Amino acid sequence: MALGFAIGVFGVLILFHAAYSTIQYRGLLKITEEEFSGPPFNVVIELSLGLVLCMWAALTVPGKFLSIHPDSEENRIVSLPANLDFMIFNHRGKVFPVEMDLKLKH
Amino acid sequence: MVTKTEENQLNRLESQVDNGGSGAWEYLCLVRKLKLRRSDKVLKHGLSILNNPSKRSALGPEEWTLYEQVAVAAMDCQSLDVAKDCIKVLQKKFPDSKRVGRLEALLLEAKGSWELAEKAYSSLLEDNPLDQTIHKRRVAMAKAQGNIPGAIEWLNKYLEIFMADHDAWRELGEIYVSLQMYKQAAFCYEELILSQPTVPLYHLAYADVLYTLGGLENLQTAKKYYTSTIDLTGGKNTRALFGVCLCTSAIAQITKGKSKEEKEGAQVQSLAAKVLEKDYKQRAPDKLPQLTTALKSLTLSS
Repeated sequence: MALGFAIGVFGVLILFHAAYSTIQYRGLLKITEEEFSGPPFNVVIELSLGLVLCMWAALTVPGKFLSIHPDSEENRIVSLPANLDFMIFNHRGKVFPVEMDLKLKH
Repeated sequence: MVTKTEENQLNRLESQVDNGGSGAWEYLCLVRKLKLRRSDKVLKHGLSILNNPSKRSALGPEEWTLYEQVAVAAMDCQSLDVAKDCIKVLQKKFPDSKRVGRLEALLLEAKGSWELAEKAYSSLLEDNPLDQTIHKRRVAMAKAQGNIPGAIEWLNKYLEIFMADHDAWRELGEIYVSLQMYKQAAFCYEELILSQPTVPLYHLAYADVLYTLGGLENLQTAKKYYTSTIDLTGGKNTRALFGVCLCTSAIAQITKGKSKEEKEGAQVQSLAAKVLEKDYKQRAPDKLPQLTTALKSLTLSS
């Protein structure tokens, strides 16, 4: 996890460096009065490398992904909650004796 | 709604705590969160925590919630003196509390003194006339005394004010089904499906009620809801698969003499039959021949 985090930070730094180089390149073009069509080729490679590193870090750092299917084995609804607001107390459990000597000792 | 992961977690904690391990407090919190009715275990483990002064002080302010939970569980297990002790402790800590007043009235209900409980509830309602739990307890009291029409009346009055309470709609639907008033039960289940359309169990119950009512339109709607249950559960609900087969054969029997325009109903039925056979072959192979004969008789009679 620490490795993924480090790679993520490294990817973000690469993106910042690519942005800085593009700004510098534009400044250079303004001096020579040429048009800015796009960043130079090596900056594009740097950008795609930063993209790959950041995506890899984003997928590995958070850990295990949970399923979103409502009918998957973990997410399926097994039972509805027992309606406790309407619970009644005169059921057949009244005739069963309490097994142990349960008391609140204070 | 209890999902499978939550159920696994609950069973694991329960076995761990039953065999004398630790984790009783997490078990009690999980039972409270999932709103389950495991009163004997709650009582046993809750008392083991409360009787141990070090564990009790480790809980901090949650101690009072535990007292409340143990009091209700004790009433369910008919250990009324335990409940009375818990309520006394709560009363000492929170005098003039509505929540403790509700517990006292609940204790009167558990003892069986219905008139005293009724008086206590009415006096509590005078102070706050819009308390949902007290209205619901009145319905439960009517049900406990066997006065089902009275319970229906109270519940209808409650639902006129609080229309969004899906627990109450579910209770009303179950009461109507127990009295075989299926049209009204269908209305209740419709409300449930409206408020929670992603719970397949409500679709299934609604389809069951419609199938019981019978008649061509009801059967066609029931088949639609059985198929929606199959859709929501990914085809794993056996009852819905059987429902589809039965509905198709019942519809075909009714429309036997009339014009046979569409045969797409037979496609759904054959698909459902195939899934059922595969499921039985996997899980209960010795019952497979009975299943195949039953399905064949269904398709032959149509």
